[in-house]
Amino acid sequence: MKRKISSIGLNVFLLVLGLVTVYPFIWMLSSSFKQNKEIMALEQHLLPQQFIIENYINMNAHFNFIRFFGNSLLITLVTTVLVLYTSTICGFVLSKYKFKGRDLLFGFVLSTMMIPWCVTIIPKYSMIQAFGWMDSYAALIIPAAFSGFGIFMMKQHIASIPDEIIEAARIDGANEFYIFHKIIFPMAKNGISSIAIFQFLWAWEDYLWPYLVINSQEKQLLAVGLKMFNGQYSTDYGALFAATTISIIPVLIIYLFFQKRFIAGIAASAVKG
Amino acid sequence: MFKKSYPLQSKSEILLRNIVVAVMVVFFSVFLIAPIVIAFAGSFHEWNPLSGTYRFLGLENYKNVFTSQLFGTSMINTVIFSVVVIIFRVGLGLGIACAINSVLIKHKSFFRAVYYMPVVTPMVAVAFVWKFMYNPQIGVINQILGTSINWLKDPNLALPAVIVMTIWKDFGYAVVMYMAGLYSLPMDVMEAAKVDGASSWQNFRYITLPLLKPMTLFVVITSIISYIQAYVQILIMTEGGPGTATYLASYIIYDEAFVKYNFGYASALSFVLFVITAVFTWLSFRVSGTES
Repeated sequence: MKRKISSIGLNVFLLVLGLVTVYPFIWMLSSSFKQNKEIMALEQHLLPQQFIIENYINMNAHFNFIRFFGNSLLITLVTTVLVLYTSTICGFVLSKYKFKGRDLLFGFVLSTMMIPWCVTIIPKYSMIQAFGWMDSYAALIIPAAFSGFGIFMMKQHIASIPDEIIEAARIDGANEFYIFHKIIFPMAKNGISSIAIFQFLWAWEDYLWPYLVINSQEKQLLAVGLKMFNGQYSTDYGALFAATTISIIPVLIIYLFFQKRFIAGIAASAVKG
Repeated sequence: MFKKSYPLQSKSEILLRNIVVAVMVVFFSVFLIAPIVIAFAGSFHEWNPLSGTYRFLGLENYKNVFTSQLFGTSMINTVIFSVVVIIFRVGLGLGIACAINSVLIKHKSFFRAVYYMPVVTPMVAVAFVWKFMYNPQIGVINQILGTSINWLKDPNLALPAVIVMTIWKDFGYAVVMYMAGLYSLPMDVMEAAKVDGASSWQNFRYITLPLLKPMTLFVVITSIISYIQAYVQILIMTEGGPGTATYLASYIIYDEAFVKYNFGYASALSFVLFVITAVFTWLSFRVSGTES
């Protein structure tokens, strides 16, 4: 009996906290289907009294939001795939090969994670100008091709793959490129999933870098677009809610899709790390 | 059984290793080491790309950093912000993780997924949603409390408001980390303690908590590093205001570098912040080391 009461109590406690956690999302989504006068009304209801989709339609009429969205999706997918590949291959070499200077190199990769963005961003900005990459997607993709965090995570994961599997493949005559692409890569799925979510999120939400290096509006990304939109139509609340909702949906889809593997991946490397 | 000897390094192994190491070294030299060197050199110069100035100043920029009142204020704000957020992050994370981990809870992965949702949501979008939530006209927070407070424009409430939003966004990360930590605890030790008649509180206090210490250290250090660098919520929600109430150290750097284009001064600020990050990280290692 006592057990039952404390079980209900604990469940209710966690549910209430969960509700507080998701409430901002529900409020945002519901407001995006409301008319402005309903959003501003004195008497408030959580669900729209009059359900409208005009906010989503109008939003794109005075701002090319779909364009920003498409650009962001392209850049985010390209950098994420690139980082997943480079992290896995660097992680493989750093964990399974023995060579002089390996620990030094790995120590260096680890230390890159401690360097604040502000230390390197000014020279990187000047370098992009010097390279003539301003206003091009090279400026967004190439400096993001390797990630210290990704390499660290993948090294931890691949270290747990038994050496015997690699040895067996070598005896069968497989070369290292085959071993990496056909054996290691598929076996590192949990680690890859956890980096995929983080990398997708970081590329998707990055504001300052695209704001600095992309000048033309038709090339700009969603995070910057969202802030511009907010500055120009700061009273069209309905459209702002619609725009914000759209900017959150892709990351939530990626998260829910990779969720299970992601948690396993992040947990494994944190416990070991 | 004797150990078979394989050729230690095949041709393809050497090739793959050389390619990977070479590309890594080139990449990090160009996009990390070179920028650090350039920024360090720049921090001793008056450096403004708009006017094309690059003039040697010696330690002038650093002197200005340490005598700047705004930097002092922002450091105090950053410390308050980081300490409060980290305490709540660790406290909520540990408490909720233990609650979810309890045998009384069935849908563990459901709760975990819910609490982690804000963590994987873009900061720019989240900051906008919370800006609207704090809005005195349309904001849901005033509606729930039955007040009409202008949270983000009140010098005493703006920083706490940003702190609350950051706690909401980030506590789920600690929940997941502590759940991973709890999951990997040795069950036999817990069972043995139970057999010896330890209460659940004693069990938690003297076994679980000490065993989770490495995880706490991990959460605290990653939090310190990321909160010293936090600026997006400030940029979207308050722009440092009202007055200087919500200026955080990283926001000043953004402001000096890309609003005022004082690259030299901003670089000096960045290095000071870098050193502060390193010192705090080292301190947390020290504190956790001397306790045990």
